[in-house]
Amino acid sequence: MNLDIHDLVVESDHDFRVRTDVYTDPAIFELEMRRIFETTWVYVAHESELPKPGDYVSTTIGLQPVIVSRGDDGQVHVLLNRCRHRGSAVCRLERGHAEQFKCPYHGWVYGSDGKLLGIAQATGYPEGMPLSELGLAPAGRIATYRGLIFASLEPDGESLDERLSQVATYIDLWADRSPLGSVTLTRAAHKFLYAGNWKFQLDNGVDGYHGNYVHESFLAILEKAGEKTVRGYKDLRSTGSVVGLAHGDGFIDRPYGGMAGQFEYHDPKLSGYHEQLRQAYGPERAQAVLGQRNLLIFPNLFLFESHIRVIRPLSVNETIVLMQPTRLDGVSDELNTERLRTHERFFGPAGFGAPDDVEMFVDGQTGMKARGVEWSILSRGLHRETRGDGVWLGGHSTDEAPQRSAYREWKRWMAGAGGVTSSREA
Amino acid sequence: MTRAEAELFIIRELRLIDERRFDDWLALFAPDCLYWLPIVEGDPAVEPSLVYDDLQRLKERIFRITASPPAQEPGSRTLHNVSNVDVAEAGEDGVRVLCNLTVFELRPGDPIQVGLAVQRVFAANAEYHLVNGPEWRIQLRKVWLLNRDEPLYNLTFLF
Repeated sequence: MNLDIHDLVVESDHDFRVRTDVYTDPAIFELEMRRIFETTWVYVAHESELPKPGDYVSTTIGLQPVIVSRGDDGQVHVLLNRCRHRGSAVCRLERGHAEQFKCPYHGWVYGSDGKLLGIAQATGYPEGMPLSELGLAPAGRIATYRGLIFASLEPDGESLDERLSQVATYIDLWADRSPLGSVTLTRAAHKFLYAGNWKFQLDNGVDGYHGNYVHESFLAILEKAGEKTVRGYKDLRSTGSVVGLAHGDGFIDRPYGGMAGQFEYHDPKLSGYHEQLRQAYGPERAQAVLGQRNLLIFPNLFLFESHIRVIRPLSVNETIVLMQPTRLDGVSDELNTERLRTHERFFGPAGFGAPDDVEMFVDGQTGMKARGVEWSILSRGLHRETRGDGVWLGGHSTDEAPQRSAYREWKRWMAGAGGVTSSREA
Repeated sequence: MTRAEAELFIIRELRLIDERRFDDWLALFAPDCLYWLPIVEGDPAVEPSLVYDDLQRLKERIFRITASPPAQEPGSRTLHNVSNVDVAEAGEDGVRVLCNLTVFELRPGDPIQVGLAVQRVFAANAEYHLVNGPEWRIQLRKVWLLNRDEPLYNLTFLF
């Protein structure tokens, strides 16, 4: 990579462009892992996945394997999945329950809080082995908000509260889809693996522009089912808006009664749901809660009505996307099942919508092999957005304000704004 | 239904998929059918499935596959094999058949096009509930993929 970070994202009042290399250059990908994923706050798991002490999930921060576990003290721990002896992963399973993590290689044993509990044949080591310092290495920082567990490998930096100060309002609206204000993830998830850069998913999750084209077959299905006409759906593109926030966050904002139709659950047999929300939050907030937002929390998390979506980059052109459906706490089983069936209809590898999005991601990876044209254009709506203090309010729901926020933040971290050219950046 | 009859029924059913005779394939299903690809053991009312289609949604699936959406442009070529056929239960009204499926899938194209020209292989256990009437009809078609809970690329075709 012989490019200056500042030349990769170009912005003026009438122009916003991102260079092709941002999607294709392995060196830029490596730097993204160091300066973004291993430095900023990233989402790692949901508290409902770890209800009891000893419960764990294994995942990644950037490319680094980590364990998210609940210790006997009830606290959540985020631990590097690497034995302190010779580096073996101590946890191979995606999720489970364990009193301890035992390294399969030489039998070193760690507690669910990461503490080293014992070394096999310990007398074989010289005196003065600092056992208390040889626990599984913890992430630098861990914090939760509304059940979402975030971690940062860097010990220093802004608190999660500061990080989420703007977007918290919208996380609240998402969580309050439950009258109890909390959700539980299903055990199974929809998982995609696609041969494209992770930022294609980042761009598309808050893209209000593609639906009429990429999802034409889904709109036709809705029309055939008598649910909404294609024309009606297209007209609804002019309702709502898009919003970019500071910190790289942003969302598509569809008001109650508009695009939200298929996620509002008006079916008379489910109508108790709306009443439950009104009783829990009052009529005004209930209506706000029932709006539909595709909310991006930079860099790796989306909150959708039906699911949590997690981006897991593998390499510059390989990405895993997890779509983990939610069950709303405190509502009828019937509603949660209906939400699940609605989710399956569009999302997942065999759904009627998401595979078409993923097709666009690999198409992007194909198209960007063509060089000579070095830029992709993200200037849609620049002339009609309203700018406030860390808020970019799009003039139309098809505008690219959220993506611009994400790339501003991308550039800030890639240029080293974390204050960190971290210890991991050799 | 004997084992040989069950095997022949499934061979012919699978051939309809591979020949893209989707309307004929749909006609094999009973009105109260379920075409189901689970991800985990568990209650499908609680856990998501890859596919959980009643007849209405199965019709939507066929419509979509044939509507040339991006995920089927170009469309998938498939080849289904059935083996290890076992009539596990047989009654007057119907039978439960267990078998193994091997499914090959290819979206043809220039290898420079990411996602095309890659032949994929899927292995699965399958369970059929066939109900007796003027013709045999499929009431349950459950496909338990070996890689059901792994990250997967597009599955916009029939198993």
